[in-house]
Amino acid sequence: MRLVLDDATVTRGEWHITAHGTFPEGIHLISGNVGSGKSTLALIMAGLLPPAAGSMISEEISSRMISFQFPEYHITGTTVREECESWGLDPNPLLSSIGLKDRHDCDPLRLSRGELKRLHLACILAYQYDLLILDEPFSSLDVCEKRRICSILSGRNRGITILFTHEQAIFPRVRHIWEIHDNQLHSCGSPPDGLRHWQHAPAFIRKLVDLGKVPKNISPEDLEAAACAI
Amino acid sequence: MRDIRLRTGTATILSVIAFYSITGAVAAFVWWLVFTPNLALVRKNRLVIPSIAMIAIFSIILELTGGAGLAYFFRMMVVILIGVWLLSGQTRGEFLHMGCWLLGNRIGFELGMLAEMGLQNLHALLIDFDRIRAAERMKGVRSGLQSIVPVGRVLVHGTLLRAEDTAELLAVRGYVQGGTCVVTFAREKGDIPAAFFAVCAALIAMIPVSAFFILS
Repeated sequence: MRLVLDDATVTRGEWHITAHGTFPEGIHLISGNVGSGKSTLALIMAGLLPPAAGSMISEEISSRMISFQFPEYHITGTTVREECESWGLDPNPLLSSIGLKDRHDCDPLRLSRGELKRLHLACILAYQYDLLILDEPFSSLDVCEKRRICSILSGRNRGITILFTHEQAIFPRVRHIWEIHDNQLHSCGSPPDGLRHWQHAPAFIRKLVDLGKVPKNISPEDLEAAACAI
Repeated sequence: MRDIRLRTGTATILSVIAFYSITGAVAAFVWWLVFTPNLALVRKNRLVIPSIAMIAIFSIILELTGGAGLAYFFRMMVVILIGVWLLSGQTRGEFLHMGCWLLGNRIGFELGMLAEMGLQNLHALLIDFDRIRAAERMKGVRSGLQSIVPVGRVLVHGTLLRAEDTAELLAVRGYVQGGTCVVTFAREKGDIPAAFFAVCAALIAMIPVSAFFILS
């Protein structure tokens, strides 16, 4: 199972983004500045935006899902219960697992952004999609929730997971790091070596790399282990 | 046409004459064919065809119930095409400049700012709509009447949130009323002739045919 981008290009006026790379199973992290084209690339990978040039090849991918940065876009139910059911899920265990068991009859649009994000991610992560694309999955979440999501993502034993994020502190263990700059997707490589080439790396990861204590990966445990070795 | 004052004035004149009579609609349509990128505008703006289709439905109903549906359809279609042309050349801030030029730094500024906010919101609504439809497709929700309600709910909710955010931002920045804007306008070569011919089209539409020709 893999996703291949062969110079897939999207153009909007004078702006464009080109992506070339192969995404095998595992978690891939893609970072980039605001406006660099992360969400556009996510749409291409999800098959929602055909590239103007180049191509995208999906091999053995039979199910795909994208989670947009703003969870409101995904809402089709008028109550939290209906929203869970619209995903084909039993509301009771799901809502209990995310601390929203008393909000069955609440309008999802009346939940706080953090609560709605929790609900949306819980619905999406209840399934094992072959290709799961998460656009800013950690936005609006507190540290505990970010850690919980990372743990669920790490537990996905099959499929391709692609994270587009600005997150600077909490990450799952990833297979490969990518970044977007100069209108192109660049491969930084796999950790730990890939961390040396990661231009958008959070400051403390860069500091660890500069000190020669390169973490094995980017999960909080790996970073803690590297920091303790100083 | 880059000068927003000429563009708005021209669009207003042509819309009025198109709505006023069939002769006006024909004159405005000819002007639209000659002075705008015409079909390129229609292809570029995906709201044009649905808007015209909606007018067509009302026109058919009007025609079937004894009204002049065909004439109504043609006149409204021309009004839509003129409106699309007006907005197609829009650049950020130009309505604010026009408002201040026309009505000064208090009322003009506020009206201009409202127009700018409205257009920004229209742009945001289109982006939201695309995302919601994409999310629905991924979720397996089919397009149709059933999907209209959730889409509408989320769009209205998003619009209200944005309006609230904007209001709070203005209040936090101490906005009370009016403002200062040094108005500037860009103009290109064909602006004046295009505006002139729009006025000619209006005259042709409004002056009775007998004023031009001696009819026996």
